[in-house]
Amino acid sequence: MSNEDEQPENRLRRELPEEVPASASAEAPVAEETPAPTVTGRQRLVQGLWPPRASRAQLIVAVLLFGLGFGLAVQVASNSNSDSALRGARQEDLVRILDELDDRTQRLEDEKQGLQKQRDELENSSDQAEEARKQTAEKEKQLGILAGTVAAQGPGITMTIDDTKGTVEADMLLDAVQELRAAGAEAIQVNGVRVVAGTYLTDSDKSVSVDGNKINAPYRFKVIGKPQDLEPALNIPGGVVQTLEKEQATVTVGRSSKIVVDALRAAKQPDYARSSSR
Amino acid sequence: MIAVLGLIVGVVAGILVRPEVPVVVEPYLPIAVVAALDAVFGGLRAMLDGIFDDKVFVVSFLSNVVVAALIVFLGDKLGVGAQLSTGVVVVLGIRIFSNAAAIRRHVFRA
Repeated sequence: MSNEDEQPENRLRRELPEEVPASASAEAPVAEETPAPTVTGRQRLVQGLWPPRASRAQLIVAVLLFGLGFGLAVQVASNSNSDSALRGARQEDLVRILDELDDRTQRLEDEKQGLQKQRDELENSSDQAEEARKQTAEKEKQLGILAGTVAAQGPGITMTIDDTKGTVEADMLLDAVQELRAAGAEAIQVNGVRVVAGTYLTDSDKSVSVDGNKINAPYRFKVIGKPQDLEPALNIPGGVVQTLEKEQATVTVGRSSKIVVDALRAAKQPDYARSSSR
Repeated sequence: MIAVLGLIVGVVAGILVRPEVPVVVEPYLPIAVVAALDAVFGGLRAMLDGIFDDKVFVVSFLSNVVVAALIVFLGDKLGVGAQLSTGVVVVLGIRIFSNAAAIRRHVFRA
């Protein structure tokens, strides 16, 4: 088809002006001639179709129609081929399509960035939540050690007060606890009773009650803290140890790299006080 | 009959061969096909009218194709290719319809 297109293009350009009147004259006399012939169009059509005659006109028309059919089929085939849908497109159409694609890409890019930002924010916030949760757990443990609701272990000292004469009273033990606290004791237990901020010591005939739990001599203190601070604090002249020994009690203080304070106190929900921090 | 055979053979050959359309010819092929269709309908009508002349048909066929391609080419050069080819298709479509009407009158007498 393309050959037939281009070949006659040069040859027939001179005939172009003549063609228009020719086709006009070919169709103009239609009205005049229709009534004239006795043979009808339908008969002529049948005559042309059958029997087939290899006349010159038929052959030429066949060649032209071959070209037409060929071009038609090629065009339809290339048009229905989605792959080459852009091949026949004009330049401005291609530019438009390209622009549209660019716009679309831009929009999708923007959307992607927005979504990424959102994802980052969510990740950050979940990280922060995780961090806050960790800190809270950590703090809960620390406060639990202070409040005596969790067991604790670490370096520290043991102090055993053997009171055979029954002369040791609650205030002496309280002095010992105060001294230990002042020296940086972090967790204290006496004979299986945890000593916390609200611990009270009372005398109860010949022995001592800690938080209402009666304990008997010997009083064994387990204290977690820095041993180098705790031991001298007890042994200073005029300090706890000397005072107790004056009352004929035997006091032994020993350092240890691992003290386990496993006496617990139940966490008590305050009745009136509420946390004021949010 | 041979002419109809030629058309059929052409379609079959186009389907079987599936040639790559050269890029230069690509924008003109559809318009050229429509123009050739117009010439074929004109020729058919002339045959029914009994005034068919093979020379006139050949010249009108080829010139239709060439003029249509030329108009599209010019339109592309002037930057109105899309509109001009639409116009050509519309004009050719109108001619095809009027020819088809004449053919119909001959064949069906209606």
